[in-house]
Amino acid sequence: MLRKSFVATALIGLSFLPAGVIAAASTSAIANAQDAAACGTEKKIDIAEMTWPSAAALAHIHAIILEHGYGCSVEIVTGDTVPTSASMISRGTPAVAPELWTSTVEEAWEKGIADGIVVKLGDAITDGTVEGWFIPRYMQEKHPELKSAEAVIARPDLFPDPENGDKGRLYSCPPGWACELSTSALYEAFDMSGKGWNLFSPGSGGALDASIARAFTREEPILFYYWGPTSILGKFDAVQLDLGPAKPDVYACNTDTDCTDAPGITAYPSSPAIIGAASWLPKEAPAVAAYMAKAGLSNAQISKLLVYGDENKADAAETARNFLKTEQDVWTGWVPVEVAEKVRAFLK
Amino acid sequence: MFPELIDTRPLRRAVDDGLSWVVRNWGGELETAAYPLLMLLNWIERLLIATPWWLFIAFFVGLAFMATRNWRLPLVVFLGLVFLGLMQLWRDAMITTALMIAATLTAIVISIPVGVWMSRSDRVRQMVTPVLDLMQTLPSFVYLIPTVMIFGPGKIPALLATIVYASPPLIRLTDLGLRNVDPAVMEASRAFGTSSTQRLFGVQIPLALPTILAGINQTTMMALAMVVIASMIGAGGLGYQVLQGIGRLEVSRGLFAGLGIVALAIVFDRITQAYGRRLQERIGVGEVR
Repeated sequence: MLRKSFVATALIGLSFLPAGVIAAASTSAIANAQDAAACGTEKKIDIAEMTWPSAAALAHIHAIILEHGYGCSVEIVTGDTVPTSASMISRGTPAVAPELWTSTVEEAWEKGIADGIVVKLGDAITDGTVEGWFIPRYMQEKHPELKSAEAVIARPDLFPDPENGDKGRLYSCPPGWACELSTSALYEAFDMSGKGWNLFSPGSGGALDASIARAFTREEPILFYYWGPTSILGKFDAVQLDLGPAKPDVYACNTDTDCTDAPGITAYPSSPAIIGAASWLPKEAPAVAAYMAKAGLSNAQISKLLVYGDENKADAAETARNFLKTEQDVWTGWVPVEVAEKVRAFLK
Repeated sequence: MFPELIDTRPLRRAVDDGLSWVVRNWGGELETAAYPLLMLLNWIERLLIATPWWLFIAFFVGLAFMATRNWRLPLVVFLGLVFLGLMQLWRDAMITTALMIAATLTAIVISIPVGVWMSRSDRVRQMVTPVLDLMQTLPSFVYLIPTVMIFGPGKIPALLATIVYASPPLIRLTDLGLRNVDPAVMEASRAFGTSSTQRLFGVQIPLALPTILAGINQTTMMALAMVVIASMIGAGGLGYQVLQGIGRLEVSRGLFAGLGIVALAIVFDRITQAYGRRLQERIGVGEVR
């Protein structure tokens, strides 16, 4: 049994086929349904729990299904995009990153795939991610002309900076994140400092969230950078501004500190959030890899998950359990019937 | 595991809803109330940034010379400040210095009266001490995020957080200094028929001044220690460079900005200490050996 699955996956391991093909190949090669429901590896599968809520909830969902459905030995380890991907590429651990935004670490990740150290198992977010500039809906209702970035930039008086009342304030991205570079580049490309705007860095993700929550609670104007799926966009009714078409090469230059061209105007390209894994995982545990290839959620599903967690003060583990209990139609499609039964038995 | 005796969720929800209520109904008023602090900070910041770099360096080198009458400290101060300039950290260093000075000034205005009050009543001391413990040990992000929600991100919450973190040593040392004034001296002054106000300002405070100055020195250092945290809520300055360095894995940027904070700390620490020592010699309470 072990040998057979090894041969099947050794073939897959050699060529880096797309995730869908891996799934198809492993299910056809492993005729025995028992194999598809077994973990296949004795090794501990460590899943990275990232610092933001959606990734944390996904980590716990996978952990429950792997541990109680497939009978794997699972450990959850904390992580963040840069350190986790760096560790996966250099040491092959953690084994799984359930929501990895590869655009931040593009070069290193591509190299890791080329070297055969990491693989992409599937998309964590099936309909792409959202990233851009937002204003509250009540602002747009009061001023219907505020639809595009240009229209908003023409009105700095509507979004006054509390520390410098004559100017408008654009809430940028926390320092060191890739979005800080892209947002600063757009600020420059639109010549916003010449049009009466300040670029304000909130300093950390927590402070940015708190500023947004404050503005929405007080129904105050705010122009901010944000991304989704997140509980902030699930909870507060914000509208995204039209930044025009996404131009990948302009964006690449905007986010590259070594690129000397003047920054250009471009929308944020939808960045891929994938389920990444160390390459030993599909080799040794093909059933798990096949499951991961299917385990993607849409923006709306993730927002729903996060709003539950936020409103019920539930932590990631509890949010995950609630998802498995209430959204059985979604996840039972990812796993064989026996696995689904075992997970259900655990949830009771 | 400890048994779940009560459901904490209603309590947690009450706290969160309470904060939202304060933000909705009192956010504007509280922000206006903190406006003088912002004015103070902005004024100091503008002054420091407008000051030419050579004047700033000359001023602090001169101050160091006045404090020690010796060439060694001025040299250290000169090198530290030139390092900041050479590393292109001057503007960030001025923003950080402004935050530190504004926080220290406010802390002095608040802490010394509290310390005096504590030294005169054991009861007040019993009540204030646990509050000081709380201020020093509560992880700062716990109160930073609510402060950002109430005051908005930027300089006000950064200044408040720095004051919260930096005042306790000054309060404690003011209290300690006043309590440690020699009882015989107090007895003598009482025998001359002084009133309690005269005793406080004429005897106790002058004799406790070296301890109080040590407290101010500590407050300055604690304020500088907060700059990285303060940058996490939008204060800018050297701490922001450190954050950027960490986030982008640019070790060099983080290291240089970190060393810049150390340079500032050395400059201010050594100058205030030197003045403390001179003061001790002048009023003749230097350690008698």
